[in-house]
Amino acid sequence: MNGDIASMRNIGISAHIDSGKTTLTERILFYCKKIHKVHEVKGRDGVGATMDSMDLERERGISIASATTNVAWAGRSINIIDTPGHVDFTIEVERSLRVLDSAVLVLCSVGGVQSQTITVDRQLRRYNVPFIAFVNKLDRVGANPFKVRDQLEAKLGHRAVLMQLPIGLEGSFEGLVDLVRMTALYFDGADGETVRVGPVPGGLAAEAARKREELLDAASLHSDELTEALLEGRATEALVQDAVRRGVLARKLVPVFLGSAYRNKGIQPLLDAVVDYLPHPGEVENRAADLDAGGVERVLAPDPAAKAVALAFKLEDGPYGQLTYIRVYQGGLRKGDELVNTRSGQRIKVGRLVRMHADTMVEIGEARCGEIVALFGVDCASGDTFCGPGLNLAMTSIHVPEPVVSLAIAPVDKAAADRLAKALGRFTKEDPTFRTHVDPESNQTIIQGMGELHLDVYVERMKREYRAEVATGMPQVAYREAIGRQADFDYTHRKQTGGAGQYARVIGRLEPFSKGAFEFASEVRGGRIPRDFIPSCEKGFRAALKKGALIGFPVTGVRVVLVDGNFHPVDSSDLAFQTAAQAAFKQAYMGAKPRLLEPVMKVSVEGPAEFAGSVFATISQRRGTIVSSVEDGTVSRVDAEVPLAEMFGYATVLRSLTQGKAEFTMEFLKYGRVPAPQAEVLMERRLERSRSVTPR
Amino acid sequence: MTFTVKDALIKRSPLRVLEKSISGGLGMGNLGVLASRKGVGKTACLVHIAADKLLQGKPVIHVSYASRVDHIMTWYEDIFRELAKAPKMSAALDEFDELIRNRVIMNFRREGARTEQVLRSLEAMIVHAGFRAEAVIVDGLDFALAGPGELRLFKDFAGRLGLEVWFSASLKGEEPLFDERGVPRELEPCLPAIDVLISLQHHGDHVHFNLVQDHGRLAPRDLRLRLDPTTLLIEEARGPARQTL
Repeated sequence: MNGDIASMRNIGISAHIDSGKTTLTERILFYCKKIHKVHEVKGRDGVGATMDSMDLERERGISIASATTNVAWAGRSINIIDTPGHVDFTIEVERSLRVLDSAVLVLCSVGGVQSQTITVDRQLRRYNVPFIAFVNKLDRVGANPFKVRDQLEAKLGHRAVLMQLPIGLEGSFEGLVDLVRMTALYFDGADGETVRVGPVPGGLAAEAARKREELLDAASLHSDELTEALLEGRATEALVQDAVRRGVLARKLVPVFLGSAYRNKGIQPLLDAVVDYLPHPGEVENRAADLDAGGVERVLAPDPAAKAVALAFKLEDGPYGQLTYIRVYQGGLRKGDELVNTRSGQRIKVGRLVRMHADTMVEIGEARCGEIVALFGVDCASGDTFCGPGLNLAMTSIHVPEPVVSLAIAPVDKAAADRLAKALGRFTKEDPTFRTHVDPESNQTIIQGMGELHLDVYVERMKREYRAEVATGMPQVAYREAIGRQADFDYTHRKQTGGAGQYARVIGRLEPFSKGAFEFASEVRGGRIPRDFIPSCEKGFRAALKKGALIGFPVTGVRVVLVDGNFHPVDSSDLAFQTAAQAAFKQAYMGAKPRLLEPVMKVSVEGPAEFAGSVFATISQRRGTIVSSVEDGTVSRVDAEVPLAEMFGYATVLRSLTQGKAEFTMEFLKYGRVPAPQAEVLMERRLERSRSVTPR
Repeated sequence: MTFTVKDALIKRSPLRVLEKSISGGLGMGNLGVLASRKGVGKTACLVHIAADKLLQGKPVIHVSYASRVDHIMTWYEDIFRELAKAPKMSAALDEFDELIRNRVIMNFRREGARTEQVLRSLEAMIVHAGFRAEAVIVDGLDFALAGPGELRLFKDFAGRLGLEVWFSASLKGEEPLFDERGVPRELEPCLPAIDVLISLQHHGDHVHFNLVQDHGRLAPRDLRLRLDPTTLLIEEARGPARQTL
């Protein structure tokens, strides 16, 4: 393996849950000789796939946290991030995409483009990540790679082109025809480790020629040289590859590769494709904000000689202490180098530097530009940027959604409480969508996240990794309060209890505000409130927003206009105006027609068409609105908008209703108004709670 | 306040003119068909009919056989945006989100979509999911393929569930498309199952509506309605009635 940047690939493997990407990663590790035996995800051998390093993932048969690993193929160094497929964990997918240069989109040859594929595709688009497609599970009954290619065009709007043809399908899937070289590939040996090249089977010759034509047509759009060569009948393998590569880098062409990871077919050609068609770090433009120049964006130089810039994108608590995964964007890192964390200003010294392979690691002396490695003993948070001395850059912050579900947890004993604190500290650092706080009213520890499953996984990790046994309450939705109309306030705060008094008067109005969570405007003239105290008023209003009077959730969408007021030359103070503003808000709030808002999720249910009716019913029982239902032969997809509060336990309901044949994904869509009957229930509950809390 | 504006919009709608011409409306249990060549504006008319129902708070199911559903949603957004241009309507149509909750799009891919299956899914939506639709829009049914048999299934279904169902029928044959009574020749076999049949024809810049059959009676007549080519809304035609076949 040489140290040249052109020999590196940083790829992600993104897919719909259950398209077999963990099995695929497992096979890649095997063929790159990183592991010596293959295991299955839901393996009978009790070992589980190597990439699912956490016990929990082994147990559930799904990937949760991205494990990163480095392999060598054809003299190139490939860093692979195995990304999770469930929507609850998309922050992981998004973080991976931020640090990767390209991706392999895995599709199931039966399921094709599914709801999660659409989410992942949107993320690839957002971060402008070039990718190739791999249609897996060609050995399955109902496999149809041609349909999947069509869906890549029809559903995702990509120009997709087959690079291979299957030789046989389903039970008789034997091998592939390489449409660039026009040869047949078979995968011999117990684990498909020997690739045997043969002539294209006679029966497939005509179709192969036709598909090759399509491939050449699509590729020639990206290379004049190839177009010319085609006209003159001298198109070479290298010219075709170069044209496809250009199309991929421009995100204008998606080459589609085929195989069955489970049957050990098609993996080596896919690895060749990663090397041949996906970009190296030097071909991808990365930017960072220059904090010394007012946040102006600068393009980073993928130059090993430049000063170092690296991004910490993932933290993990391993058996040997905190492990910080970083991607080097500029320059290089050596043991003993000094770096600055530009968020905290802290200086660190590079200690142990390792290259990761699932949960084993190799110590290295230096990390070069473009590499993904891990550091030991560095105190930082996910998303921090490290720079060489003299630089002050911040890599673009990663889009972090607000949590929508919370859960009260209580440690079962004192020992668990100590361990719990440690676990929470770790998790919040690792995952920006996971948050925690202590509710001052109930004194309970609250954890917040992106969904029920998201929080479930953390509760289990508390038990397994930290031996912190906790009791959990019912998951709670992150409600919001908002106002429905304008309301005026005029409040005087006066206190005279010996010593310095307090005096402040604020007059103004609250207005509904649709452009954001909060806006404050002052129309106070003639020094009726001294200028110094205007920010105190704003501070007071902001504080009041944190807890609405209806059910105690944050108030959003309010504009406060301060019109007039009064002060006392001695008794007025910052604190007096803050207090007055808070009380004024409370005074006006109930007159402003306050209402409750709840998170509404975009829910997509996919399954056999025969269950569509039952699915419709589950949606309408949950106060959901069905937006559309699509039936395509035997498969149906229902898209709906459903309040999150109604979605708890839906996975179980859906599973039992459809004998496990349907699945759903959901993501946050918007805040919608809580209908009056539900709002009343919530307010009643709040009232009961406040009655039951005994004053200390 | 907003309701009176909305009421006025409903009252002034050119669709009231249509209803008057067809004995007070299509009516529950009945099938209406808009027929023309491809690209004349049938979908626009159907979406306008659906939007008019939604404004009245009546739930609508829009059945389509297209490959994508997002452009159907855009149709609705566009038509509501056009309607909102009526004086004082913009505030009322802030309720677009609310109105659109009463619409479900059900999409069936042409290949696998037998009418029995479509009706089964419709029934599931209306009966099991409790979506009490009053009108169903069926855009893109292939009448040549469906024939009178499948249309009769629709008719029975509409009668059983108390729905009015509006179809678009794309005419593909050679000229002349219509017989001497104004009946599209391709639809002749289906005529007994159709209650209201309207043909759309280009006339100058505009598309005009001809009533062909009104609740079983063949009564060719200019409906004095046309499709505005820019807004794609149905509007009242001015000037004298045209001679129809």
